[in-house]
Order: sequence, then structure tokens, then C-alpha cells
Amino acid sequence: MNEDPYAVLGVKREATQEEIRAAYRNLAKQLHPDLNPGDKKAEEKFKQVASAYDVLGDPEKRARFDRGEIDASGTERPRERYYRDFHGSGAQEHAYSTADGFADLMDEDILADILGRARAGHDGGQFRMRGSDALYRLAVEFLEAVNGATKRITLPDGGILDVVIPPGTRDGHVLRLRGKGRAGIGGGPAGDALVEIEVRPHKLFTRKDDDIHIELPISLTEAVLGGKLDVPTPSGPVRMTVPKGANSGTVLRLKGKGVQRKDNRGDEYVTLKVVLPQPSDPELEEFARRWQAGQRHDPRAHLEA
Amino acid sequence: MIPMHEFLLRCRLEHESLQAWIAAGWLATPETEPEPAFSEVDLARAQLIRDLRDDFGVNDEGISVILHLIDQMHGLRRSMQEVLDELRAVRETHHESR
Repeated sequence: MNEDPYAVLGVKREATQEEIRAAYRNLAKQLHPDLNPGDKKAEEKFKQVASAYDVLGDPEKRARFDRGEIDASGTERPRERYYRDFHGSGAQEHAYSTADGFADLMDEDILADILGRARAGHDGGQFRMRGSDALYRLAVEFLEAVNGATKRITLPDGGILDVVIPPGTRDGHVLRLRGKGRAGIGGGPAGDALVEIEVRPHKLFTRKDDDIHIELPISLTEAVLGGKLDVPTPSGPVRMTVPKGANSGTVLRLKGKGVQRKDNRGDEYVTLKVVLPQPSDPELEEFARRWQAGQRHDPRAHLEA
Repeated sequence: MIPMHEFLLRCRLEHESLQAWIAAGWLATPETEPEPAFSEVDLARAQLIRDLRDDFGVNDEGISVILHLIDQMHGLRRSMQEVLDELRAVRETHHESR
């Protein structure tokens, strides 16, 4: 343990005795083994801190250390056993042992039973306990979540779990499958399986609450003249009428073509997007050049910067 | 058992302080007669008290509270250990019977 005691305490070399004392107290309070009975590392750190303070806490020793007359390890204080070493499993009961900390919990039959039996030294066989819950994540396709599906999970131990995804399941929803968790102990009931659903995105559809949104490309001809065309919905294509003169950004609603709710369904909103032919059509270009009304039309007339 | 003079020496304690600590209930009254003697547990506890007082600056009221809580925590840790041991045993029997 030859670490620089100043570094161990985290103080500057010109720190006052008072600062050193404060730094030591702070560290010792956090690290004292009797205040950290379950932490084996605390003891090692505490020893370093105590050893550093042994040197720096005494102005005379500190001056000798600063002059290089003694090294940081020269004065390590031998410590006998900590109080915590007299507790724990296998330790004898003694004058300071107490059961006051859980006297109220002894009303619980299970605890009284176990502690009573453990103290008496018997082996138990009557103990019953519900199994713990098991957590799983399941990624499902967008349409499976909207329309409902049955998915099969293969468990780490080789078991199989069939998960029924109800129609309209949202991303992040947690399904509880009763009795499908870990086995109970001593004949106790099994725990539950908790399955968190992750819904993968869809390339056409997006979901907002219980409504479905889709952007639908239409041709110039369809936009100008209107017509009937097929629109994808989660439950299959639906014929929809596009009115004459439909524009990019026009939103049409397909009632009841959204996500299943308790007693009805959400809607699907179709946003039109006019798409010109690619590559550009010479006849269309020729028409646009000749089309006088089109050249007078100013769609940005109402825009003011 | 540790005789009085050795006990005082090993935990670097004055006789008056020891009497005061026993009177405050921090240490158990030694029961041995005629010469009082102490156990290793008493010694470790006395050293803890000295750490709290001298190094951490805990005042006398604080010492009583801390000792009480530490003793309760050890009781709980012990019970917890027993519960865990029991659970482990039950689980092993359970696995065997499957």
C-alpha cells in the first residue's frame, strides 16, 4: 500500500490539517466496514484511507513524510476484527444479537415457519411459494399488431409459449399470461409470463391512436380527372373515389378502415400525392408550353414572406 | 476471555470511558466475577464505537442510534441468510422431484 496518501484522501499537498481531517471523515463514513457489512471491497478501501490518515492526520508524521523520511506504508495501523465479523451465518448468538428488526414480520406465517425451522435445525418440505414472473419481449409485424395474431415464443429452456396478440395491440403493450411464468415451489402456483410487445414499423402505414395514415401516389391524369382506385388498408385493398381536381396534400378518409377498437374501428386517412411521369413526357411538356391558363395560374399568390 | 487491563490496552481506552460506555448500554456488562473479562465481540464493538466517536465525530446520542440500527441490520441479514438457505434447499428438492 504505497499509494500517495494525499491522493488516497483526495486532498492537495498544501491542505490544512482541518481539510485533511474533513476528507478522512467523509471517506471513512462511507467506507467503514461496519457500516457496509456486505461489501468486502469497502474494507480494503477503508484500510487505505485509514493508513493515509495515519500519516497525514498527525502533523509531525506528515512533515516527516513530506521530507521523505517515512513512506506511506510505514505506519499502517494493525486492525483487529471488525464488529461485523461476529455476525452472519454460522456466527454465535451473543449479547448484542437482536431480532427486533423483523418482530412485526414474524406475523407472516412463511417467515415464522422458515426462521423457526432454520433455528431449530430441521429440513423443510412444507414450504410453498408462488413462482416468479418471467419477462419476455416479442417483436411483431405492424399488421399482426393491428389485425391480431398468434405468435409462438421458444423459451430458453426449450418450452413453447403461444401468445395471442389481440387486434389493435400497441407498441410497448405488456401482455400478462397467467400461470405461464416460472414454476411454483413446493406445490405453489406458477408465476405469470409478462410479454412486452414491440411493433415493427410498416413501409406504407403509420398509426396514430386508432387511425391509420397512408400517403397515396396518384398520376396527373387521376388528379385532374378523378376516378376510382384501389387503396391498401390493413384489412386489404379498398376501392376509393378520388374527386376531380384532387391535389397533392388532399386528405381523404376511409371510415372504419383503421384499427379495431372495443366496439368500432378507427379510420384510415389517405393523403394524396400527385406524381408526374418519369422521365418527363414530351407531349405533356408540349401541352404545358401551349397551355395559357396554366401560365397565368399563380399557386403562390397567397404566400407572403 | 480478555481481562480488563488487556481489553483497555487493545482498544486504547481509559477505564472511566469504559465504565461510561457500559453505563450508556453501548457495551454489555461483563458478567464474570470477581475479575471482569470481555469477549472478542466486546472488543470489536468497542473499536467500532471509538471509530464513530473519534474519527467520524458522532456525538453520544448518535452512537446509541447507530449501534441500535447496526444490531438490527445484522439480525435482518442473518434472517435473510436463513431464508435464502431454506429457499435454496427447497429449490433443490423441487428440481430433483421434477
